[in-house]
Amino acid sequence: MTVKDRWLLWVFLAPTLLLMGLMLFYPMVGTVIDSFHDTSFINPQPRFVGWAVYEKIWTSRQFPEVVWNSVVWTLGVVLLQNILGFFAAMLLNQKLPMQGVTRALVLLPFVLPGVVTAILWRFMYDPQLGLINSLLISAGILDESAAWLASSNTAMAAVIFVAVWKGFPFSMLIYLAALQNVDKSQLEAATIDGAGAWRRLIDVTLPSIREVILVNIVLTLILTFNYFDIVWVLTRGGPQNATHIFPTKIFETGFGQFRFGEAAVYGVFSILILAMLVALYVIVQQGARNRRPTA
Amino acid sequence: MKQAASTRIVLVALQILLAIFVLIPLFWMLSVSLKPPTEPFSIPARLWPQEPTMSNYVTAFRPEFRTYFLNSIIVSGSSVVITVSLALLAAYSFARGTLLVLTGLMSLVVLAQMFPHSAIIIPIYKLMRDADLLNTHLSLIIAYVSVTLPVAIWMLRGFLLKLPVSLEEAAAIDGAGPVRVFFDIVVPLARPGVIATAVYVLIVTWQEFLFALSFTSTKEMRTLPVGLNDFIGQYGIRYGELMASSVMVSLPVIAVFFFLQRYFVAGLTAGAVKG
Repeated sequence: MTVKDRWLLWVFLAPTLLLMGLMLFYPMVGTVIDSFHDTSFINPQPRFVGWAVYEKIWTSRQFPEVVWNSVVWTLGVVLLQNILGFFAAMLLNQKLPMQGVTRALVLLPFVLPGVVTAILWRFMYDPQLGLINSLLISAGILDESAAWLASSNTAMAAVIFVAVWKGFPFSMLIYLAALQNVDKSQLEAATIDGAGAWRRLIDVTLPSIREVILVNIVLTLILTFNYFDIVWVLTRGGPQNATHIFPTKIFETGFGQFRFGEAAVYGVFSILILAMLVALYVIVQQGARNRRPTA
Repeated sequence: MKQAASTRIVLVALQILLAIFVLIPLFWMLSVSLKPPTEPFSIPARLWPQEPTMSNYVTAFRPEFRTYFLNSIIVSGSSVVITVSLALLAAYSFARGTLLVLTGLMSLVVLAQMFPHSAIIIPIYKLMRDADLLNTHLSLIIAYVSVTLPVAIWMLRGFLLKLPVSLEEAAAIDGAGPVRVFFDIVVPLARPGVIATAVYVLIVTWQEFLFALSFTSTKEMRTLPVGLNDFIGQYGIRYGELMASSVMVSLPVIAVFFFLQRYFVAGLTAGAVKG
């Protein structure tokens, strides 16, 4: 592309920049502005109140609950999803029979729409008709049906389990691609030197896909923190706020109670947490980029 | 690498276990959707109905479900076409332009794909309200195009960077203007990347729930995910119909995904592994 044709770049970019500016970047600012205003169903006209809404949220009983739930939810899903995804990728990277079919089938939860996944698992967890209780009772593990989603002791674990079931194929795909790029000659050299499967994993495979693992973990942290549909359809944040995370709390406060100011404060906090995660992502990516030429 | 027979047996067993973990819920969804409404649930659960029937599908395919389906097709279809077109234009600029400011803008695109939808939805909702667009297909299409653009640009840029520039240069030397170079050379070559991106946008928009739930208020405008969520309350525990609806909602994306899987997986993992 010659210098003379540069105008075309901007013509091509214009609609995208316009749309992203208006629909993604402006709303980020809009949320911060909203957080200093008070609105309610009775008083829909926003009123500037300074830090008052922050103070109200900050001192509320629910705020620490939402933060804690978000931490448990995000770390739980990310750790389990990446461990299971890595394990599945290792398994599907061996030359075993039926590999292609298994790989295709394992991708199904990834494609299954989120609301369908949540409805299916609501049914799986159902105290009367659900398959999970039926299997556990038949196997003699449970004496009587448990209400997995309705008890605040088990609800979070039950929701995390569903998210891992749906999310691990994505991690698996990324790890599988990375594993297939591992230098075969290094693996063979290690085998000749007498390294067993475990040593090859620790000494050759893991070091050479380190960056992919790190980037993938931070990426899933960000995506999981932003998750909405599965949690909302499974529990609506209940029972007794046991599964309320930032996105569900924002939706309920904003569109359930029309308290846009309070929802915006939760929004600002979630933006701050995400900003930290994004900074982590940049650091990890930068580290990966710097190490690559020497590797 | 050679493995001992015993190792292979363990690995195959683990692979089967993995497949079972993934498939049991899906198998059950299918099984219950084919169960006659009269056949009771039992403990231990019967894994396959005694007399499978399509009657749940017939009942579930009621007029409102058809409306939701049509809405989903309109909204997702439009979003796919618009996002992929805009993203291809933008990705071309990012892949071929050399200005420093473009590098900065590309960082903003990468940043934007991580924005939490729940934190930006209220200002977007207010924009739509002020533009009098709430409860229209257009409001969802605009929102979906905006939120899928960043990843779409990122995927297509990665794809265009791998295409040789020499063809474009040769065409330019032959006297083709920049617009013709783009439409006659770049667009046809970009086809695999375009397919991968289209599949991504389809998967995301077909299941999108938060915007659809917030922006639509009448049955006439609901899309499938919201409609399905409404069914939970309406039908109580008529799980047969609920599962039949779920299967019908899932089939289109699953079919598209499996036909076009290799494009999508290549497009996604290339970018993700290379960074």
